[in-house]
Amino acid sequence: MIHFDQVNKVFYLPHERKVTLRQRFVSVFQKNTYEKFYALLKICLSVKRGECLGVIGRNGSGKSTLLKLIAKVLEPTSGKIIINGEVAPFLELGVGFQGDLTVRDNIFLYGALLGMGRKQVVDKYDWIIEFSALGKFVDAKLKHLSSGMQVRLAFSITVSIESPILLVDEVLAVGDIDFQQKCYNVFEQFKQIGKTIVFVSHDLGAIEKFCDRVILLENGQIKAQGYPRDILDIYRKASSDPVI
Amino acid sequence: MARKNYLFLIATIAVTDFKLKYDNSFLGYFWSLLKPLLIFGTLYLVFSVFTRWDVENYKLYLLLGIVLWSFLAEVTLNSMVLLQGKASVLKKVYFPRWVIVISSSLVSLSTLFLNIIIFLFFFIISGAHFDFSALLLVIFVFELYILSVGLAFLLCALFPKFRDVYHTWEVFVQLGFWVTPIVYPISIVPVKYHTMIFLNPVARIIQGSREAVIGSVGEFSSFGNHAIIICISVSLLAIGLGLFNKLSRSFAEDL
Repeated sequence: MIHFDQVNKVFYLPHERKVTLRQRFVSVFQKNTYEKFYALLKICLSVKRGECLGVIGRNGSGKSTLLKLIAKVLEPTSGKIIINGEVAPFLELGVGFQGDLTVRDNIFLYGALLGMGRKQVVDKYDWIIEFSALGKFVDAKLKHLSSGMQVRLAFSITVSIESPILLVDEVLAVGDIDFQQKCYNVFEQFKQIGKTIVFVSHDLGAIEKFCDRVILLENGQIKAQGYPRDILDIYRKASSDPVI
Repeated sequence: MARKNYLFLIATIAVTDFKLKYDNSFLGYFWSLLKPLLIFGTLYLVFSVFTRWDVENYKLYLLLGIVLWSFLAEVTLNSMVLLQGKASVLKKVYFPRWVIVISSSLVSLSTLFLNIIIFLFFFIISGAHFDFSALLLVIFVFELYILSVGLAFLLCALFPKFRDVYHTWEVFVQLGFWVTPIVYPISIVPVKYHTMIFLNPVARIIQGSREAVIGSVGEFSSFGNHAIIICISVSLLAIGLGLFNKLSRSFAEDL
């Protein structure tokens, strides 16, 4: 389903970022100094169909980069990535929303950005409104909704995509308790119908509850992988150590 | 994303962009018509009252030139603006990046159609003679579209890495407006400069359109002229697409 073979992702971090031509011209005579930063290093990973994989690690350990590579937003510097099936990205909910448009317009826009067709959005429209419980606000401008409501809307649209692979990046932290419960129910359902889920979270409780397997990332490398309980133990122990 | 859904995505982004552009403004969509008309009004005032060219139907001559040039300017500049505006989305969601450029070009195309309708209105009240050769305008607009989109791809490919492209191009558009015979007739330009002026395919398109719609069919309605325009436009499009295809892979990192 998802297969990574020796994948590296390098970011070149210039010591001073040069954006304009002048900066580049001036810098011709200086040595172009940059640091090679390995966001991911020699990642080998396989996720089977219907598996729920948890990804944990400290900030900057490469979790989001991993998801972006799966979502094809980034290209690997080297190595091979094979993905069978469409991917529904949950990266940062509501990222394409336009505050000046109505809720209705935003459903169509967001759906389109996530790869849905017109018919699909129309078919799912009522379900989305019901699930997000925003029936009263269909014609309101999005900017007049609370941020929690906006995230609810984004989440509802994303789960209505019928793609076999789901990428979830720290989304359940928002929303009230009712909505969180709803989300967990949806994930439970998705697992049952055999969707593949890659789940990034700092909510270790949720990871333990949902994931079949967990990988622990550290400085762009897979430090450990296996059953959730074992990996979480390693992670907790590492976290209690002083940061080097 | 399924291939057939690209069309829906293109249309949705285009409609959104159009709506947002004129949201919260009293005159709304009329601005897209008013802008070229105001430029036209100013230039017409200066060049028909203060000075005079010896051009038949100068009003129509000028308006058609402005409308076509504005299209080129809008497509190229707005596609970069839209690319920048969608940066946050491009960093998070994958869809082919050319979708943005095409959407932007469709928004400008809709403005062009409205502008052409206004032009027709002026055409009718000025009582100019209508000839069926005017339908050739469709071909010229098509050529202009290919040319503009090619340029837009080229510029958008470079834009995320070199932000200067936008500002440089803005100046070029201004410069081009005066180097191209839009306001003045080509007859006032010394003959030795003609070859240089008509290296610019837009000058050929504009002159050709004028011949087709307002004046009589002449040298710019010839097959040869079309061939030259199409050659330049298609090569630009090919280069633009090639570069865009290569550089857009790292847009998520550069924007």
